[in-house]
Amino acid sequence: MELKFKVGDAVIVASENPTGYPRTPRYIRGKRGVIGLVHGVLENIRDHRGIHTPLYTVRFDLSEVSTCHGQDSIWVDVHEEWLSEVRPDS
Amino acid sequence: MSGKHGHKPFEGHMHDFEAHIRAVEEDLEYYRAKRFEPRIIYLIRRGVVTFYDLLKARVALKHRNQFFKPRKPQGKNIEARVRYLEEWLDEYVKGIALVSARAVEAMDMVTEDNRKERGDYDDFFKIKKKEHRGTLEERMVNLEQDLKDYQELLEVFVQALLHRGWSTRQELEQRWKDLHEERPWAGGVIVAKAWSDPAFKQALVATGREALREMGVHQGKVGKLVVVENTDKVHNVVVCTLCSCYPYDILGDTPWWYKHESYRTNIVQNPRACVKEMFQLEISASKELQVWDSTSDVRYFVLPQRPTGTEGMSEEELAKLVTVDSLIGAGYALEPSQQKEAMKLGAAPESPRVRPD
Repeated sequence: MELKFKVGDAVIVASENPTGYPRTPRYIRGKRGVIGLVHGVLENIRDHRGIHTPLYTVRFDLSEVSTCHGQDSIWVDVHEEWLSEVRPDS
Repeated sequence: MSGKHGHKPFEGHMHDFEAHIRAVEEDLEYYRAKRFEPRIIYLIRRGVVTFYDLLKARVALKHRNQFFKPRKPQGKNIEARVRYLEEWLDEYVKGIALVSARAVEAMDMVTEDNRKERGDYDDFFKIKKKEHRGTLEERMVNLEQDLKDYQELLEVFVQALLHRGWSTRQELEQRWKDLHEERPWAGGVIVAKAWSDPAFKQALVATGREALREMGVHQGKVGKLVVVENTDKVHNVVVCTLCSCYPYDILGDTPWWYKHESYRTNIVQNPRACVKEMFQLEISASKELQVWDSTSDVRYFVLPQRPTGTEGMSEEELAKLVTVDSLIGAGYALEPSQQKEAMKLGAAPESPRVRPD
């Protein structure tokens, strides 16, 4: 499967995605982040059947996902169907 | 509890009984409501076992055909009773692992099914956990009763699986024996090697599992492993905000608080305040705190910084400085003086129970 994103790409997480991977936590939905790690498609037969779309670890500024400020960050694993590209000027 | 995992041979006194009891309460309810009962319900829904199988198995249960041997109290003083509860909890958790494997095989059940069944995505399905109140004595009496009850359901479930022919006593006995085989705790060994061998550290951070495979560390069902390194500029903390994902197969069980909602919520809301309040950890303002939320197939652990005053120490000595908390980012590796002090007080950080589930 071709990967849609690479490290450093700015992305936004969908607000909802009823048919998407179910373990995308609520606190990052609709939030903007940057691709931090690219894992691709992972097989894990004891965990789930079949395969999911490619997996990325997305870096969010803490201030994007909470009311805190500062330099800290939250890194969350997100599957591709939850992510869209963000143009730098938007 | 004891030094059975080898690298921490100290069997000390307990200084805070309340903390030990709290840990048993939290873990017991977690394993009952998240790991065991959802499996029974899953299998009942699919007719692998029925309520009636369970009832019949209970009626047919005699002392002589019991699978699990009854446990005898070790003494009446509080420390002996706390240890008794902790050891019983360990056996209960191993019992769940015993029946899970058979049930998984019979029904092709994967972890994802269990997440659905126990309500990770829908509160409607959540099995309510018991609340614990009262004096320490009352809470201990309650735990003794709960363990007896929960163990009985486990026993009856095993009997039902046997009656239905999903397994044989011989198979279960072999597996029960395997579950009691001691596996050394890998956490300290991995970190000590990374501190001592720069090439290994580089491989560990770059590839995760592949580096461990060369070490011969048991990998289990970890999908992909990412090791995040603490430095002078970055402090890492690991969480699973949705449930309690962790590289259990490599690092053993987590402390109870890792599975607790307060940690899972607060660590992504206000991580600095959370680690300060829960673990008395003040992260320097010059560091970036990075929280890693395992929501899919990646499992994370933290490579703590090598403590000062450890120059020239062997890997074996270094391994003793690595605590369970330090691999989650809820603590630092111990300095040699802290480790000696902890040994003296009997509060030495314990290696986690290796819970094969």
